[in-house]
Amino acid sequence: MTKMITEKPITLIGGYLGAGKTTFINRLLNSGGLPSRTAVLVNDFGDINVDEQLIRSGSKSDQVIGLANGCVCCSIADDLTSALEVLKSSAIERVLLECSGVAEPHRARVQCHYPGYYPHASVVLVDALNHQQRCKDKYVGTLVAAQVQQADLIVISKSALNPDFCLQTLQPTIDADDQDAMEVVLGWGSDANHGHSIPTNLAPSFFTQTWQSRLPVSLADLTQRLEDLPGSVQRVKGLVATDAGIIEVQRVGTDTQLTPWTQPPHTAQLGLVIIASAADDLASIDWAS
Amino acid sequence: MLTLYKARSVITMNESMPRATAVLVRDGMIVEVGEPEHMEPWLRHQEYVVEDQFVEKVICPGFIDPHLHPSMAAVLLPMEFITAMRWKLPWGEVEPVTDAEGFDRRMGALSTKKSVDEPLFIWGYHQLWHGPMSRARIEDIAGDKPTVVWHRSFHELYMNAAAMDMVGVVAAEIKPGMQIDIERGWFFEGGLGYAINRLNPWILAPDKYAAGLQRLKQVVHHGGHTTIGDLATGMFNFSAEAEALSQHLEGDDVPFRTRLVAHGTVLTKGGVPPQQGPELAEALLQRNSHRLHFGRHIKLFSDGAFFSQLAQLQEPGYIDGHHGEWLTTPEILEQHIRSYWHAGYQIHVHVTGDLGLQLTLDILQKMQEEKPRFNHGFTLEHFGFSTPEQIRQIQALGAQVSANVYYLHELSDSYTQNGIGYERASQMARLGSCFRAGINTTVHSDFTMAPAEPLNSMWVAVNRINHVGDVMGATEAITPQQALQAITLNAAHVIGMADITGSIRAGKRADFTVLDEDPLTCDPLDLRNINIYATVFEGKVFPLA
Ligand SMILES: [Zn+2]
Ligand SMILES: [Zn+2]
Repeated sequence: MTKMITEKPITLIGGYLGAGKTTFINRLLNSGGLPSRTAVLVNDFGDINVDEQLIRSGSKSDQVIGLANGCVCCSIADDLTSALEVLKSSAIERVLLECSGVAEPHRARVQCHYPGYYPHASVVLVDALNHQQRCKDKYVGTLVAAQVQQADLIVISKSALNPDFCLQTLQPTIDADDQDAMEVVLGWGSDANHGHSIPTNLAPSFFTQTWQSRLPVSLADLTQRLEDLPGSVQRVKGLVATDAGIIEVQRVGTDTQLTPWTQPPHTAQLGLVIIASAADDLASIDWAS
Repeated sequence: MLTLYKARSVITMNESMPRATAVLVRDGMIVEVGEPEHMEPWLRHQEYVVEDQFVEKVICPGFIDPHLHPSMAAVLLPMEFITAMRWKLPWGEVEPVTDAEGFDRRMGALSTKKSVDEPLFIWGYHQLWHGPMSRARIEDIAGDKPTVVWHRSFHELYMNAAAMDMVGVVAAEIKPGMQIDIERGWFFEGGLGYAINRLNPWILAPDKYAAGLQRLKQVVHHGGHTTIGDLATGMFNFSAEAEALSQHLEGDDVPFRTRLVAHGTVLTKGGVPPQQGPELAEALLQRNSHRLHFGRHIKLFSDGAFFSQLAQLQEPGYIDGHHGEWLTTPEILEQHIRSYWHAGYQIHVHVTGDLGLQLTLDILQKMQEEKPRFNHGFTLEHFGFSTPEQIRQIQALGAQVSANVYYLHELSDSYTQNGIGYERASQMARLGSCFRAGINTTVHSDFTMAPAEPLNSMWVAVNRINHVGDVMGATEAITPQQALQAITLNAAHVIGMADITGSIRAGKRADFTVLDEDPLTCDPLDLRNINIYATVFEGKVFPLA
């Protein structure tokens, strides 16, 4: 499935109110790491620091455009559509779209099939401090859970305030405070497995694979396998049943941590997510036996 | 100069004198209601004329629709209607078309009526009645006259090749997965925005929009209204709308006044903090003219559209397990409500499902604890699904209800099958309970969501008959007396105009709706067929053919 080079990828930044979308976007804008010719569509200008300096010199086509909340009774005055129309014929090469806090990634994604664009990835921010509580909220509990379920990549924010926070999910997860969090988000592609990468020279692309074992493996074997992973593997995360009980695996770069799972076994969703910057390397990981 | 209106009967909606036979008016204001012989003291020293064209008629207080959308209507009304339900429009009654052949026949007739290059816009198509639509089907009938068929819900449309050419749809741009089926000429959800963006030069063209507002003016008069509420002023654009409204809905030939209630989220668009909302709303008061009034009212939004099954429901939710949508993040809704509550505003919140309603009531409860207010007029708009327990809460918190009762007529049958099941579908628009609880309750059309015909709303509220003829939730029906009160005095309370209109008594404006039949004594099934003879706005007669 090759896409025409002229189509612009849209990365959706979702997550409930307070999940840190605005902080994250501000960091992107301030970091200098935002590739040139990126348009940032924010849900409301509110807390986004849009000043001349952020619209960085040398890349005049960078744009931050504010969107009002979706229209109520009809779509005749639809800000997103108008923004996409305007950007279509511009030199913009990619779009970051901040979703409203109550948007479901699936529904927002539909909008990104607009002619001239394609949805690149749904990134959802999850607030380590309040997520668990919010999932029980009678008004937004289902919504918040659905946002996580529909994400291609999850970014955990505020984990410093709640170091024990752990999201029981097999989706690729990174921490907002990771050194390379911005790079990972910008490079993330939901269709990465099809060998598609976004047209930019600045951000690398990332690929992901999940591994699940039906039978327990030996702890020694697991350790060995992790050591043998190719260098392009950036992250490994998840839970594995071993002869020494359920083990939680956390690996960032070459730093691997294995911790015994102390909570009730039935709460553990078994499986490992492996994130690498080279698709071929992922394909060569053969853990099947 | 005084004018003495005589009638077969005057229904005053003033409990202290429910009936009379005459109304005496000076300079657009009622000076006395009652029997002509009691008016002698006024007439003794002043000149007067007797207006006797209503002696065989029944005078009611001028009807009020407290929630409709002139700007939306202006977009829709220039289009041709082919609908499964009847729509009584000033330029002709739209007879229901309930099958595919009928739809095609009417599309053909409309097509030949238009000149060759004038595009044809049709609104009201629904697959349930009219069968599957496609570009080929349109072309069979309308050939290469540019033709757009818009779905009843507004959320999808079909075009023939000529229409796609006209607006500049580029087939090569369209790829699979984007909710456009170019073969069928079908644009929906994500793809709809693409189509609308290209259609806007036609549907929002200033002359079209102006013509649409002129038609709206006729619709409002024809429905017998003397007052309406625009319940989301600014939905497209504040200054453009305000300008157009003052051009078309102000002036001696306009037989009604409009309460303008600003769209709260648009007002603070662009990151303005909610605390500044009241200040911005206050500035709108500068724009007021005789017929067009902003007041200290604001419109806010809770859950999604009722017609699209996006209302947020409490358990057990929808049969197919999908869930609704929030139009505003709950915490943000609370911030908005808080700032207007503390500024003393009357807040109108769009609520459609019982979960959306519960959220709104919980916030209202919080506000009452923070800063107790009496007579605050907090209004629940639309009021699709509710529970009996919520009725008590509404009553205890001092809120009022403005219901779109037409949901029950058009949707209760299909929501029984594909939606929420019979029990809850039959209890949409729980109006009987509201009246029994003493809640100030009115009904509205949300035009163009439902016909702007107060007598039709009254008919639905009294009979609770759905479109297949079943009576739904009979104990939630209200009496003709209550229903007439809903479309007059109670509506006036909801839009904050009960001091000047809504009933017929000394001191109020002379706003009347003059009927051929008595709506309180006729067969309730005939309510929607009562002929409206004329309206009177501030003492000026506006006849209806
Ligand atoms: Zn509404
Ligand atoms: Zn409305």
